[in-house]
Amino acid sequence: MNLSKKDEDSGDLGIFYHLDKTTVLQEARVFNETPIVPRKCRLLLTKIIYLLYIGEPMATTEATELFFSVTKLFQSKDIALRQMVYLVIKELSSIAEDVIMVTSSLMKDMQPKSDVIYRANAIRALCKITDASMLPSVERFLKAAVVDKTPSISSAAIVSSYHLFPAGKDVIKRWANEVHEAINSKPTSLVGSASSYLTSFSTSSSSYSTPPSSSNINQYHALGLLYLIRQHDRMAVTKLIQQLAGSSRGGFGSSSGILRNTFAYCLLIRFAAKILDEDPNSRQPMYDLLEGWLRHKSDIVNFEAAKAICNIKDVTSKELYPAINVLQLFLSSPRFTLRFAAIRTLNKLAMTHPTSVQPCNLDMENLITDQNRSVATFAITTLLKTGNEASVDRLMKQITGFMSEISDEFKVIVVDAIRSLCLKFPTKQAVMLGFLSGVLRDEGGYEFKRAVVEAIFDLVKFIPESKEAALAHLCEFIEDCEFTKLSVRVLHLLGVEGPKTATPTKYIRYIYNRVILENSIVRAAAVSALAKFGVSVEDPEVKKSIKVLLTRCLDDNDDEVRDRATLYLRLLDEDENAEKYLKDDSTYSLAALERQLVQYVSSSESAEKPFDLSAVPKITKSQAEAENLRPRSFDLATQTIGVSSPAVSGIIPATISTTSRDATPTPGIDQQQLYTQQLEKIPEIAAFGTLFKSSVKPVELTESETEYVVSCVKHVFNGHIVFQFNINNTLNDQLLENVSVVMQPESDDIGLEEEFVIPTSKLPYDQPGSVYVAFKRTNLDECPLGSFSNTLKFVVKDCDPTSGEPDEEGYEDEYLVEDVELVTGDYVLPTYISDFQGAWDKLGEDGQVVETFALTAAKSLKAACTTLIELLGMSAVENTGTPQSTSVHTLLLSGIFFGGMEVLAKSRMTFSPSTGVTMELSVRSSSQEISRTVISAVV
Amino acid sequence: MASILRSFLDWLRSLFFKTELELTLVGLQNSGKTTLVNVIASGQFSEDMIPTVGFNMRKVTKGSVTMKLWDIGGQPRFRSMWERYCRGVNAIVFVIDSADHEKLDAARTELRNLLEKPQLANIPVLVLGNKNDLPDALPVEKIIDEMNLKSINNREVSCYSISAKNQVNIDITLQWLIKKGKGTK
Repeated sequence: MNLSKKDEDSGDLGIFYHLDKTTVLQEARVFNETPIVPRKCRLLLTKIIYLLYIGEPMATTEATELFFSVTKLFQSKDIALRQMVYLVIKELSSIAEDVIMVTSSLMKDMQPKSDVIYRANAIRALCKITDASMLPSVERFLKAAVVDKTPSISSAAIVSSYHLFPAGKDVIKRWANEVHEAINSKPTSLVGSASSYLTSFSTSSSSYSTPPSSSNINQYHALGLLYLIRQHDRMAVTKLIQQLAGSSRGGFGSSSGILRNTFAYCLLIRFAAKILDEDPNSRQPMYDLLEGWLRHKSDIVNFEAAKAICNIKDVTSKELYPAINVLQLFLSSPRFTLRFAAIRTLNKLAMTHPTSVQPCNLDMENLITDQNRSVATFAITTLLKTGNEASVDRLMKQITGFMSEISDEFKVIVVDAIRSLCLKFPTKQAVMLGFLSGVLRDEGGYEFKRAVVEAIFDLVKFIPESKEAALAHLCEFIEDCEFTKLSVRVLHLLGVEGPKTATPTKYIRYIYNRVILENSIVRAAAVSALAKFGVSVEDPEVKKSIKVLLTRCLDDNDDEVRDRATLYLRLLDEDENAEKYLKDDSTYSLAALERQLVQYVSSSESAEKPFDLSAVPKITKSQAEAENLRPRSFDLATQTIGVSSPAVSGIIPATISTTSRDATPTPGIDQQQLYTQQLEKIPEIAAFGTLFKSSVKPVELTESETEYVVSCVKHVFNGHIVFQFNINNTLNDQLLENVSVVMQPESDDIGLEEEFVIPTSKLPYDQPGSVYVAFKRTNLDECPLGSFSNTLKFVVKDCDPTSGEPDEEGYEDEYLVEDVELVTGDYVLPTYISDFQGAWDKLGEDGQVVETFALTAAKSLKAACTTLIELLGMSAVENTGTPQSTSVHTLLLSGIFFGGMEVLAKSRMTFSPSTGVTMELSVRSSSQEISRTVISAVV
Repeated sequence: MASILRSFLDWLRSLFFKTELELTLVGLQNSGKTTLVNVIASGQFSEDMIPTVGFNMRKVTKGSVTMKLWDIGGQPRFRSMWERYCRGVNAIVFVIDSADHEKLDAARTELRNLLEKPQLANIPVLVLGNKNDLPDALPVEKIIDEMNLKSINNREVSCYSISAKNQVNIDITLQWLIKKGKGTK
């Protein structure tokens, strides 16, 4: 596979150049000769490893044959040869059969009594050939090796255990104490190693002493393994962090702490950051630790701590301050790596906290001319985010200077930075657009071009002044664009935006050129774009010429192009349909549509009536885009380069929210689909028919640290309500059997009748299971509301925590969890409507209910909005989910009430710090009763 | 200086008189192969042994004879690999537990299977009935009968009843083995 590489490097390969597998395997006969010539064998083993390394395929039989020949070499006492043998065994372990054959020999070599240098090597080879079934028989030796005084041996054993962990969890978990001891082990003291030198010197040269190590790397390995063992036990991890960090509190700089390895500290920092992220209660103590590590004597620890602080979710600028100080120092470090690491972290941080990064501006200015291009790129893009309007021109000039010298990957970073900059300083759009169109003409791959095109799209969308110029640049771009995907996107945008400009006609020429010159995909897109001009432009002349152009397309040799042309020609004459099919920009929520269609197709009775499209929630194009944006920004965030996220909304929410963007996500749609699939598998529940709504988030009924962790999901069906209890047994010495839940409504006349309970037969340790409790609604006109007390009933069987073997005998037990409540929100499905006012007027005042509330507990309008959306289960429309002002706001909500009734709500609210939020809530629907029910959710 | 001279002389002597001997020990699990190797190598007997996973390699020097001992695990999963280690050796030593009557059948079958391998033709075989210190151990004649050794006529076969624990008949076993080494030279 590496033939080409072979040629390139042939100069260095020397004796390995003309290696051939067959000859090497032939030569392997020397392994069987007596006496063994170590030098010859070593050379041959090296050749074998080389062959394996360059990817020479080796059949199982060949490898097995070779493996057994190699095992013959165990008769030689030559140390270097033995080490080579281990290497070959490790390489062959995955190809050859019966590699287990060397277990005994390796175990002999790793014995403490063999005072040889290769004990560690033997351990590492042993781990490669051992599987879970063999683990118990080597357990004793590995456990002893973990606490061996020699660091290399201890490391080898720990790293081996780390790799064996997935296969032999239960066995390795028992070694936690030994691993802990390995962390705490004292370093091989100077006296100790000196004396070992002395002994080795006095007792002839036959004994080999292991070289003393000062890195203490085994602490790093041991910490990694210990975390692997305890990772699911947050308390234990917290304790571990505090213990290891606490000991070094006393004196940074002194070597009194337990941990002496800097990598181990980095690992500890990562664990601490994870805990901080997951558990809000430990935020402060963990942050204090991280902050303390900023003053550690090692750079790498400082950096890791700073990075961890920068990555804290919703970090405050006060918390950031010390971390940024450290990074700022690094910026002027003479070492490349430090500068790079620091600027990269700052760059990422600047996406979310530009003002916090601003103090570093001066240092970053100096880095623009850094001889390392990567550092310079990051410096500039960071400055673009943190700098003020005045510095933009200068920076843009500088970037243009070296755009051609950097790789595509960095170009994308630059473009993304510019993209967010455009939105930040709309007045600078001319400069930026000039720059973007300039780079668009440069050479570059798809990813780069895509980034540029998307940046220009954003300009068109958010900065009206730039629209004409940007569209002109895009037109020019598609004249000579090698990427079909991009051409199609540009054509679509031209179709949407072109007709709104002052002179739509000038775009038509560009578009029609595509019909003449491009491949069928682009041609089809061009036809659609033309049709949009035909419908949207007022001028009848334009419509006429569009018709002419479309008529020409009827002779196209591609089906799709002809079909589209025919359709559009037809639509152009029917204004009403054109409105409906060409201009309407709302679309169905695809996930929901798919789910309901599948349901429709699979159920036999529904085939008799037509599919009910009105039950599918509608979303606008921009909403759909917001949905798409999320996974995309996630992709980008995880890119290897680690910097990115053009998720515009995240960068500068303030600017964008003023524009026409509805960022109300429709969460739960995918989640609901998942629930539907799960429920359909249960025949009793599938019989209830279509699922109307599942609660978005499971309600936690216990603390997350209790013995049994329980959460509840409410599923509302036409005539039934199903409560799904997700239960996780966190006790490893218990097996729960026959688990069911007894639900007791607070009042008997709630309008629900328990129909059945589906218990789960077994709940072993850490394997979540679900119990379903189904209720039948006795009165279909009313929506049952109220709370239920819940008791878990089960049979406990004690079991051995290690083997999981349960006792024969069990005993019954109960466990009380918190109440679950049925609220109005459970009966409302959030939907999107494009014209709230229109719909509001249409419903009229007949079904309107108005009430005024004083929410003294609400701390801000934002909090009030969030609570209200949650309570009513509706979706905020027209971008009213986030208040613009802190004192006055009007929230518009839309939803579908149980039974398919449309419900709209309008809430006018005011806020003052003394009285909290006062709001007037009006709800409109087709009937007073529904409106009253909905509004009662707030009371 | 004297020690250097002596080691040089030793080396010279070994050039002329050294006999190298390669042996493979096989047999069912728990028959005492590893124990026997330990006894031959160091004279030490240990009750507490763990099953051999794979093989052990020991080099033992007795006087001018150097023995390479391949001690292969006797568990069923390793039996198919006995042959690999028996090829080209001076002698195959097949150890049986003479006090475990129930496993004799299996031992006989395994021995026959092993000796049928064409690669191992003409290699002398020494069958050792180990553990003769135990009360109901079979005497050597019984072992020869039970193992059907008389029917093997295409190679040299011998049988001794030994005890690795009490070091009974270890000397004659060694003599037999060393003879094999000299015979081939």
